[in-house]
Amino acid sequence: MIRAALLMARKDLLLLCARGAGLAQALLLGLLLLFIFSLARGIAEEFSAQAASAVFWMATLFCQVLIFNALYALEEDNGQRQALLMLPVPEQSIWAGKGLAGMVILLAAQGVFIPATVVFLDQDIQGGLLGGLRLILTADLGLAAAGSLLGALAQGRAARESLLSVIIFPLLLPLLLAAIRLGAEAISGAGLEEAENWFRLLLVFDGLFLAAGLALFGFIYNAQE
Amino acid sequence: MLLRLDKVAKFYGRKIIFKGVSLELEAGRILLLCGANGAGKSTLLKIMAGLIRPDAGRAAHTLTTNGRLGYMGHQTFIYPAMNALENLRFWAGMHGLEYRASDLAALLQRVNLLPFAAEKAGAFSRGMAQRLNLARILLLEPELLLLDEPATGMDAPSRAMLEAEIIAAAARGAGIVWISHSLEADLPRAHQAALLEGGRLAFLGSATDYARLLTGAGA
Repeated sequence: MIRAALLMARKDLLLLCARGAGLAQALLLGLLLLFIFSLARGIAEEFSAQAASAVFWMATLFCQVLIFNALYALEEDNGQRQALLMLPVPEQSIWAGKGLAGMVILLAAQGVFIPATVVFLDQDIQGGLLGGLRLILTADLGLAAAGSLLGALAQGRAARESLLSVIIFPLLLPLLLAAIRLGAEAISGAGLEEAENWFRLLLVFDGLFLAAGLALFGFIYNAQE
Repeated sequence: MLLRLDKVAKFYGRKIIFKGVSLELEAGRILLLCGANGAGKSTLLKIMAGLIRPDAGRAAHTLTTNGRLGYMGHQTFIYPAMNALENLRFWAGMHGLEYRASDLAALLQRVNLLPFAAEKAGAFSRGMAQRLNLARILLLEPELLLLDEPATGMDAPSRAMLEAEIIAAAARGAGIVWISHSLEADLPRAHQAALLEGGRLAFLGSATDYARLLTGAGA
């Protein structure tokens, strides 16, 4: 399963980079969001670290949706999904492979969003590098696990599947809330008393989305049209 | 017995596509599946491939190795942004097959695509894409081969190559279900024939008997 997932991730990264379109849209949308919020700020007004963190994670979330839609759309060009479903490997390797590819692209996008947050929202990052890295990797793991499920759902054509994505999307809110609070801490450098609690919440939702992906992906991706 | 369908039925909403379809396929045999457009041949083939669940009845195959099932549907399953060789390499890897670059080159040679190995598959004509799809299936050395109008878009030399590969696969012991509308050309190559008509299996027997039936009906 791991070998198949790595092959899938490698293929997806190559195809998405070669195609460029999905990737550029995701990046531009995130940057646009950051830019629009920078315009909303008055000349003498300052953006709080928490507000800046919220905008950063919003940009990440919208980017995640577009990335995973693009990743799953790759399997619809010539019906490749059918061939993938006949492989002698667990279907979850498709979910894991696309999740891994999505996480790599998400990290690369955040590599652009972080300096954009500093410039557009006039932030001065005071927190440590390791703490910030730990937050981003942990939050992105959950976003990628959930995003890979949502991407599979978005390719379904049945109305019930569209409804499912509407239901699952709000489940990301606790993860985002924790990421925003911890992100504010990482920007301001001010120690947060309940930081470890928020971090535990992130880990719990990571586990939840990983378990949901492993348990549900087969049913979702196999659903008949 | 390689493949067995037992009273299989499929409905779309309240409409019956077919019901009570039972058939068996042994290793090394070619079954030609016939019927008019909309008779449900492709749906039945997808049920055999495990891509669609039947609404009633049971479809089962007894492949010795998981994944040795080759399915050629209406779509080509190739990635347009990857070249022919990369496509084969990806599918070989996903099937867990050990291969050398020379193996893949030999396979492309077999389907007359070696000169186009480094070309993006998106630039291929329908016939070339179908040949690459055939190479993807030959890679698996399938025990069960399910072919849905595989000659679509192919020119005469490619059709001849396809037919030679089908016969060679049967000679190696693969069971083959082959949907074709070119009965005159393809029926002599089959051992069995099945006709889907009016939502049921209207004929199931030897290809020779079916050819005789068609000749009688035509006379």
